[in-house]
Amino acid sequence: MSFLKITDLHVAVADKEILQGIDLEIGQGEIHAIMGPNGAGKSTLSAVLTGKPGYEVTSGSIEFMGRDLLAMKPEERSWAGVFLSFQYPIEIPGVSITNFMKTAINSKRKAQGLEPMKGGEFLKMMKEKMALVQMKGEFSKREVNVGFSGGEKKRNEIFQMAMLDPVLAILDETDSGLDVDALKIVADGVNALHTPQKSAIVITHYQKLLEYVRPDRVHVLKAGRIVAEGGDELIDAIEKDGFEQF
Amino acid sequence: MASNSSDKIIDHGNYVPTPVPSRPVAASGLRPYSAAAKREWTQPWPDAATAAPEAVFVDEGEFKEVYLQTPVPANFVVGAGAKLDVTIVVLPGITANIPVTVDITGPEAEVNLKGLYLCSGTDEVTFDVTVHHRVQGCVSHQLFNGLASGSAKCAFFGKIIVAPDAQRTEAYQENHNIVLSDQAKVNTKPQLEIYADDVRCSHGATVGKLNEDEQFYMRSRGIPEGEARVLQMISFVAPVLDGLEDEGLATRIEAAIRSLADR
Repeated sequence: MSFLKITDLHVAVADKEILQGIDLEIGQGEIHAIMGPNGAGKSTLSAVLTGKPGYEVTSGSIEFMGRDLLAMKPEERSWAGVFLSFQYPIEIPGVSITNFMKTAINSKRKAQGLEPMKGGEFLKMMKEKMALVQMKGEFSKREVNVGFSGGEKKRNEIFQMAMLDPVLAILDETDSGLDVDALKIVADGVNALHTPQKSAIVITHYQKLLEYVRPDRVHVLKAGRIVAEGGDELIDAIEKDGFEQF
Repeated sequence: MASNSSDKIIDHGNYVPTPVPSRPVAASGLRPYSAAAKREWTQPWPDAATAAPEAVFVDEGEFKEVYLQTPVPANFVVGAGAKLDVTIVVLPGITANIPVTVDITGPEAEVNLKGLYLCSGTDEVTFDVTVHHRVQGCVSHQLFNGLASGSAKCAFFGKIIVAPDAQRTEAYQENHNIVLSDQAKVNTKPQLEIYADDVRCSHGATVGKLNEDEQFYMRSRGIPEGEARVLQMISFVAPVLDGLEDEGLATRIEAAIRSLADR
């Protein structure tokens, strides 16, 4: 049984084929980087993995821990341990971080047939995970992403990842728009959460984050296809000669 | 129009003041809305004209009231320095026509008028609101938010009138609506009639659907679609309930919202 196996995946958005036959296999505990120029289809891949409406899978399959991922609703994928750190985190006015996370965690517990988490236990967990991304106490009372700086939004994504404890984390351009300090906080958070049981897909179009989060394997995505695969040496080749070489 | 008096002639444009409700004999100070009329209605409201004909006179201090599932006085008259803070809540299963006129008759008065209507099935709810600034230096805020599901019909007609003498008026009106089904209908009509020249007035009206990007974001965190919609609706109505701090009311509204989300 594969941990994650993507086979000949074709995806169209509004009748335009964006992904044109992706094959990708990720083992448990592995970190994979997907690099590629703007418009290559990187975000489309993350959208399809998490079940965003509006993306039509025209052929191919995705198997996740023995299950047909494409047949699952977005919330079911989350319960199964899939997490996406959004490139552009969404603002939800009127919903506090605490309420948002409490609802998320208790929804998963309900789906697993468990009682809601006790208030004290939940607050302790919030505090612990906030410390991981250096968020101050008042953060929990703020409305989700409303008025957040770019760095705060990305730290909030990693905070949520810590709370939900996924086995497959997809980081979509998590490094974009971050200054060096914020990048370090985010990378440290990602590394702290990584265990031999957990895998990650790091999507990026430049190598900054990969200096901190070292991938086991690198895939280059261009015009909807994977055009090169390899190890660290690919990152250096891209830094030196860009994506034109592929 | 000839005038041979020494009075200053003011061009009032088309301003035709409507009469202020007459004060009941022997009334002094604040006249509370009768308790009997405040009992809850679970059936469609009868025509508001017969159900709640009374005017409430707020001469001093603050009059703060939540009208939950009850007929609303058709008139409020707010005097100098007084404060009116009224919230009207209509839960699903009610058909009602709700005319409310607020006459501001004394300077430095403050009016806060809020409404929430949650409509489902074949409910028809119409708000017909007029805030009439008759004198200078007063502030009014209106905020009406509505949710329409099923084949409900909601309407908000909101008018702000600023009399020629009502200089330094601040009057704001907002009406936001979310349509939850293809059959539900919302009609919103803001109107400003301003006859003074030193005023700050604004109005905003929106009709939309629940935001799908927010829904996907919440679902990606494991919040089921129905629960995500409930969270969105609760946050949408929150500004209307802000400052009431009434747990019982909040619980009833959440239950009503859940009933809308299930349909």
